[in-house]
Amino acid sequence: MANFVKVIQPGLSTTVQDLGRPSHQIEGFPESGAMDKFSYKLANLLVNNHRNSASLEYVQVGPSLYFNCDSFIAITGGKVQATLNDRPIKQNEVVKVNSGSILKIGQMTSGNYGHLAFSNGGVITEPVLDSRSTTLRTNMGGLDGRALQTGDSVPIRDSVVMPSLQARKIAIEPEHIQTIHFVKGPHWQMFSEEAQQQFIEQEHQLSGQMDRMGYRLKGNKLPVPEKSLLSEGTVFGNVQITRDGSPIVLLADRQTTGGYPVIATIIRADLNRFVQMRSGEAFKFVETDMKSATQALVAQQKILNDTFENWYSNRYREPIGPIRRNAIKIAELIRANK
Amino acid sequence: MNYSYFQVSEQSLEVEFPEQINVEENELIQDIARQLIDQKAIGVTGIIPAYHTLTVNYDFDLTSYQDLVDQIDEIILNANQDKKTGRSIIELPVCYNLEYGPDLQDVANYGKVSVEELIKLHTGTDYFIYMMGFLPGFAYMGSVPKQIAMPRLKVPRKVIAAGSVGVAGAQTGMYPVDSPGGWRLLGRTPIKLYDPSNPVLKYHSGDYVRFKAVDETEFKKIQVEDQKGDYQLKIIQEGGENNG
Repeated sequence: MANFVKVIQPGLSTTVQDLGRPSHQIEGFPESGAMDKFSYKLANLLVNNHRNSASLEYVQVGPSLYFNCDSFIAITGGKVQATLNDRPIKQNEVVKVNSGSILKIGQMTSGNYGHLAFSNGGVITEPVLDSRSTTLRTNMGGLDGRALQTGDSVPIRDSVVMPSLQARKIAIEPEHIQTIHFVKGPHWQMFSEEAQQQFIEQEHQLSGQMDRMGYRLKGNKLPVPEKSLLSEGTVFGNVQITRDGSPIVLLADRQTTGGYPVIATIIRADLNRFVQMRSGEAFKFVETDMKSATQALVAQQKILNDTFENWYSNRYREPIGPIRRNAIKIAELIRANK
Repeated sequence: MNYSYFQVSEQSLEVEFPEQINVEENELIQDIARQLIDQKAIGVTGIIPAYHTLTVNYDFDLTSYQDLVDQIDEIILNANQDKKTGRSIIELPVCYNLEYGPDLQDVANYGKVSVEELIKLHTGTDYFIYMMGFLPGFAYMGSVPKQIAMPRLKVPRKVIAAGSVGVAGAQTGMYPVDSPGGWRLLGRTPIKLYDPSNPVLKYHSGDYVRFKAVDETEFKKIQVEDQKGDYQLKIIQEGGENNG
């Protein structure tokens, strides 16, 4: 029998996402994939999945789901209230779900994007061009290229007992964001000194125009270079300046090429926080260099790697499930660890 | 060969050639892209060739900026400069009117020509596909006759209908799906350019496109045939020995 979760309430715009299809940008297909890659990776690590396993990404309001099989789940990203069979469950830790359960993820109190990962390989819809990621604008991937709807069955795999997973959790401190770091973009030099200065000194505000393609920023309009550009390839986090002087930050579903000058690129380590900022929130851009940007990203990846290492090396410690408690060898290990 | 490198982010770089719309230069860029793919260059995750640039995304756990610079230098050094191939021209029907092309009159005014003359100018050139991009099935093509090469809109439109045909400076192209965009719209093709259930593209970089003006009646007729899968796009093979 096929295993799945049935959609009772779809949430605001819940889609299947993995790491996207970067190799098909050459044909003009958007990269897509998770917006907040830290939360995405963390959710997969928690339930012991491969780094490219597909999960459900929801926007501001999460889905309600019925499970027809056993699973372990993890909820990461924007802050939400979630319940399993009407009992509150926590974010950033593994939760065991029995067949027949109902999971409800409510409205986010902070952030925009959340991830729900399922153990034993995640969501297993048919990949399209090497990825399960949904690109809504092109109706591609995921579940028929669209967001979840009431009544949909999302295919997952049944999970047999994996008691060691239950001990997995991580404390994620909410951060108050005031600055976003950037490296100079390929067209930085095209902008007047006045424009460069304004870009750094002024406060930028998230406008209401935000989606998986990009976030438009509000503030005083920047002076725009006279010269028109030929279109060039785009990169996740590019900050382009439109003809009317407004910055747009290009995100997961961005067009593969664009013709507006790119003044800056937000560093990868800050992009996860940036995509979680809400309409009306304000921040300043702070310049950094490529070396520091790279170090920041490596440090962020190290948090995930170390957390995983820690879980992995402690997998035989208590609390473990009833089945393994009887195993003599494990019992010895537990004693040795005490 | 005059070119330079720019590191765009922790895991992406751009190779930049002189900023121009030039068939030979673009063919070299396509060649580098193809070779990186064929060689299965280690750590390369995604490549975007454009008019005068090549964007390369990579995994810094597997390769580095300097490693890639060395590999690309090598490819450029050994690039074959004297290829001669025949051209494929794809003939694409377009209905030019104010409903499908709301900027038709503005572009005619810009070029100081009548709408009829504008259509003649736009259909009278075969356009080389320099790159695919922006959207699935979107071909960046040039060059539009100077007279009608009107710059893109100051504020992009929030929605442009699939099939719309427009110009942006020297560039011309079709919108394969509904999308926001800033190009000046001249008309619409009845052909479905992108089908998500069968994402096989009808043209590729290196091909040529020739627009053919059709009236509203013909537009509707072709649209019905195309939806049934009965319409065959006309492809003209022209000249050149293929040493490929």
